Amino acid sequence: MSGALLELRALSGGYEPVQIFRDVTLAMDHGASIGLFGPNGHGKTTLLKTISGLLDPWSGDILFEGVRLNRERARGRRRSLYFNYEVLIPRRMNPQRVVRAGLIHVAQSNLLFPELTVRETLAVARLAGRGRADAEALRQQALALFPRLRERLGQKIRFLSGGERQMVSVACGLIAAPKLLMLDEPTLGLSPKLRHELAAAIHSIRQQVPLIVVDQDVDFLKSLIDTLYLFDHGRISGRIERQDMPSHDQLMRMLFGQTH
Amino acid sequence: MRYDPPFRRTPGFIPALLVLGVLAAFPLLFTDSHARHLLILVFIYAIVAASWDLSLGYGGLVNFSHVALFAAGIYSYGILAKTLGVSPWLAIAAGGVVAVVLASAIALPILRLDGIYVILVTLAFSQLLYQIVISQSDVTGGTSGMVTLPGLKVGDYRFIGNNRIGYYYVALALFAASIAGLHAIIRSRLGRAMVALRDNKYYAMARGVSEARTRLAALAISAFFAGIAGGFYGSYIRVASPDAFGLGQLTLILSMVLAGGAGTLWGPAAGAFIITLLSEAIADYGSWRTIIISLIIIAVLIFYPGGFWAGIQDLRDLVDRLRTSMLALYRRRYARAIRERLLGATEKMITTRYGKVAVADTGGSGPPLLFIHGNSACKEAFKYQFADFAADHRVIAFDLPGHGVSHNMDPETAYNVPAYAEIAETVLQSLGVDAAAVFGWSLGGYVALELAARGKIAVRALAIAGTAPLNVVPDDFAAGYNPDSHLVLAGKRFYSPQEARDFAGSATAPRSADSAFLHTTFRRTDGRTRLYMISRIGVTDWPRQMRMLREGRIPFAILNGANDPFLNHAYIRDLTYGNIWTEKPHDIPDGKHAPFFNQPELFNAALRAFLQYAASLARRPEPAAAATAP
Amino acid sequence: MTLQTFLFVCLSGVVLGALYALMATGLAVVWTTLGIFNFAHGTFIAAGAYLAWQLSQGGHSAGFLPNAAISIASLFAVGVLFHLLLVKPFERKPNAVLLSVMTTLAGASIVEGIINLVWGPRSKQLQSIVGDIRFAGIVMSYNDVVMIAVAVAILAAVGAFLRYSTIGRSMRAVAQNREAAQLLGLNVPLLYALAFGLSAALAGMAGLFVGSMRFMTPSMGSEPLMKALIVVIFGGIARFTSPIYAAFVVGMLEAFSTYYVGLYWTPAVLFALMIAVLMIKPEGLFGKYERSV
Repeated sequence: MSGALLELRALSGGYEPVQIFRDVTLAMDHGASIGLFGPNGHGKTTLLKTISGLLDPWSGDILFEGVRLNRERARGRRRSLYFNYEVLIPRRMNPQRVVRAGLIHVAQSNLLFPELTVRETLAVARLAGRGRADAEALRQQALALFPRLRERLGQKIRFLSGGERQMVSVACGLIAAPKLLMLDEPTLGLSPKLRHELAAAIHSIRQQVPLIVVDQDVDFLKSLIDTLYLFDHGRISGRIERQDMPSHDQLMRMLFGQTH
Repeated sequence: MRYDPPFRRTPGFIPALLVLGVLAAFPLLFTDSHARHLLILVFIYAIVAASWDLSLGYGGLVNFSHVALFAAGIYSYGILAKTLGVSPWLAIAAGGVVAVVLASAIALPILRLDGIYVILVTLAFSQLLYQIVISQSDVTGGTSGMVTLPGLKVGDYRFIGNNRIGYYYVALALFAASIAGLHAIIRSRLGRAMVALRDNKYYAMARGVSEARTRLAALAISAFFAGIAGGFYGSYIRVASPDAFGLGQLTLILSMVLAGGAGTLWGPAAGAFIITLLSEAIADYGSWRTIIISLIIIAVLIFYPGGFWAGIQDLRDLVDRLRTSMLALYRRRYARAIRERLLGATEKMITTRYGKVAVADTGGSGPPLLFIHGNSACKEAFKYQFADFAADHRVIAFDLPGHGVSHNMDPETAYNVPAYAEIAETVLQSLGVDAAAVFGWSLGGYVALELAARGKIAVRALAIAGTAPLNVVPDDFAAGYNPDSHLVLAGKRFYSPQEARDFAGSATAPRSADSAFLHTTFRRTDGRTRLYMISRIGVTDWPRQMRMLREGRIPFAILNGANDPFLNHAYIRDLTYGNIWTEKPHDIPDGKHAPFFNQPELFNAALRAFLQYAASLARRPEPAAAATAP
Repeated sequence: MTLQTFLFVCLSGVVLGALYALMATGLAVVWTTLGIFNFAHGTFIAAGAYLAWQLSQGGHSAGFLPNAAISIASLFAVGVLFHLLLVKPFERKPNAVLLSVMTTLAGASIVEGIINLVWGPRSKQLQSIVGDIRFAGIVMSYNDVVMIAVAVAILAAVGAFLRYSTIGRSMRAVAQNREAAQLLGLNVPLLYALAFGLSAALAGMAGLFVGSMRFMTPSMGSEPLMKALIVVIFGGIARFTSPIYAAFVVGMLEAFSTYYVGLYWTPAVLFALMIAVLMIKPEGLFGKYERSV
């Protein structure tokens, strides 16, 4: 499957010693966008954090543009219960490497940098995209997508509302010149008006950057993505193509009919 | 679920008495004054270190004023005994009281602070004390300290006499009393409250533990022991120096706590012993001394945070591993004939990906029937089944890794249910079997379910006993089993003889001539299988097993003992099964947890009936199994 | 007190304040960026003084400024090394703060021990700038004046660096939200190492002045450590300027306290005040939000 943009092979991970997700296998072709849908607490955010390198995967591989992002696991035999082997084992994932490759993760409900101004935050995001694209053009585009932010450039992040912070997050994601953008519940907790604005902006971004979107709103996802993966108790339990996509209520019935 | 054995003795008691005995006898055998001096220092520092561990290791409070309270004890002794002429004995006791008072004052600001602020406040207090002491030079001798403090004596007998034997025994007595006292506190309600607060503060508070009161008590009690030790130290060294308040002294005692193992009482005491002797050995090296001790702290913290105590545990683990390995080896070689006779089957070793397992096989051309045993048992538990079914079946059973006479294996990879299922597949394939009926007991039941769900071996009939099928883990584990105290033992690494008897008795049958071999196989079982069974519980794809049961494509039966004390029978009854024999769990009357052993006739009859049922289903065209799923 | 005495005490306070600002800012840089308290900070100050002294010995001394530069650069390297060996191993652990307290404490002992081994316990002194300034009936040594000037200049430079430069901004970002910084591709380990190095370099600089104002002994670092601790607690670490303001407050407090209560009682007074601040307003007098560690 060497043509895929992103490929996950039997990926398992969690927070030692609790395993959160297991055996996640999927492949994203170039140009396609996918969505992840499932109840809260089942591991979608943990999965994204593992792909972007904040967490180490326990087993399996992550390939981006054919290149494996994770280091091979050094698995020596542990003879002692109490020796701190962790200090000798290098980390399997390096988030900086993931960002350099162009895989950008916009985290859920990001607190960002409370004491930096919006302008400074966007400037930090520019560093992420260096060498890959025209930073200034991206910045202009981001500000065009979120005109609100133009007025807030000199303000510190902690004075922004939740919705505005989300906008800054997504703007940073765009300015980082992504080849693939992962959005974790981008519209969570937003008022309907802001949600509408943000959704429109994300649709616009979708035109130039493939997305992985995690969200609870199927109708929002429907219009955005080509394949929907159902996530249940840490495993992928189903896959729906765009043409077969049901409505929000239908999907609920499907899911809860299955598990309990 | 707390395991409350009916007796009070804990595994560490006998070794503790031994050590105490040796220490008491020491000066009678060795009259060297310097050796006694070192041990006296060890005892004093051990009290300070162990009491520091109470608030630090058990309480989770990084209290940097502890050593300053020890110093306060020294100075109280100095001021009371020398300047005010109070009896030295009273002055030592007063040292404890003064320390408690100071600790209470220190505790007030930090009752609700966390993390680094506790360190900073307590450090500030210790520096405050230091500044007060050196500024009051008329009372405390300022930066020069106090000298020629009175020593201990009773009447005319001065304790320093006879190569300081008096001091030795007083120090030993204080040490023993302190350790006993601290031990009692840790096991008391207060001790448990401290640990609860440390591990999960908000949960503990929700359960009614008062954070403020617990912290205050922890700090006050730790301080008391430190103060007493300080007073005694003053009466022995007979000098009170302000250096005791410094970071150097703090680092030294901290190294004893850490190198010994924080959060265990014995660790810091052992640490005091090691560090004091080490410090003595390198006393001539000047500044190298502090450098080496500091390097030790860093090395311990980074590479081996458990300290000396963890080292003992690792050693114990290694010894136990070797013991079980040797035991298995011996029995494998020398008792094979007995086992083959018991089962009426040949035994051989089969190589799997993880190691070699022992397999009993009656051979023949009858339909294969596989038995999988449970936690800490062995294949010989099925002797009644071998006797009954060998006539018309090919009966196969194997010892799980680390059990019976199978080899011990790498716990990280082999001691979990999917690996056991894979081993079962390898065993059957090596014997040329690709379809079989399978019965699993307890842990073996999960292995049987996993084997069937994996689908590499065609399972013609699937029966379990003593197993609660799981879907969401660990929630269903709590739902499917009763909180029986003996169940707690199921996941325990090391057993005392009492615990082994208890668990073997309730899991299979009480010890008798008949069941003796089940009790002896217990001792052979690699304790790490129990440990990893619990810690690796998440590795298995439980929903897949549950889906398989619901789909009902494989004839399935549950043959629990009706009075199995571990299972929550209601939970098992209420699950959805697609195709279960007799439409619900078929309980074996008075079967307890191992009905195949306790009621062999009833069980064998039921199993036979089920196998016939499964065979009749197979002859019919594919029956409509209750299907769910899209 | 007379006006002259008042001015004199104030000036002493300013001098102390400038010195403390240098000492405390380094500590604050590490605290804000990494979230840990570096117990070896005092020994860094001592090391800076001793290195400078060593360089000024013998006939090959290159002069005050180059020596100072070498000393400071070496301390930067020491800081980076410290981070790598004593702090980085714990970065994944939940109680990283407490563990690094203990390792830096041990590290401090090691540095002090090394200083003792190499240079011995006998007091030394760095050459101070000779000469006085007189104005308004008050005498101030050149050394003090230079120190104030240098301290202000350096702190302004560091402040500007953190505020306006790319690396400085990245360091601030990492301090405020490590995870978000990682997601934007910032090289967190490098930035941590830089912060530590910067902190040590500032300590080294402070050491140059402490060494010229007080006697140098291997344990000369413990008093500055405590002072820096008091300053950082007083002022909080919400902004880069917080410890600087607090340093001058503490300097003034100390100067006036020494005048009224005497040299022996002043440290006790300062510690008592620090405890009071910790109890009443743990985020410091100038603190805005509490950095929870």
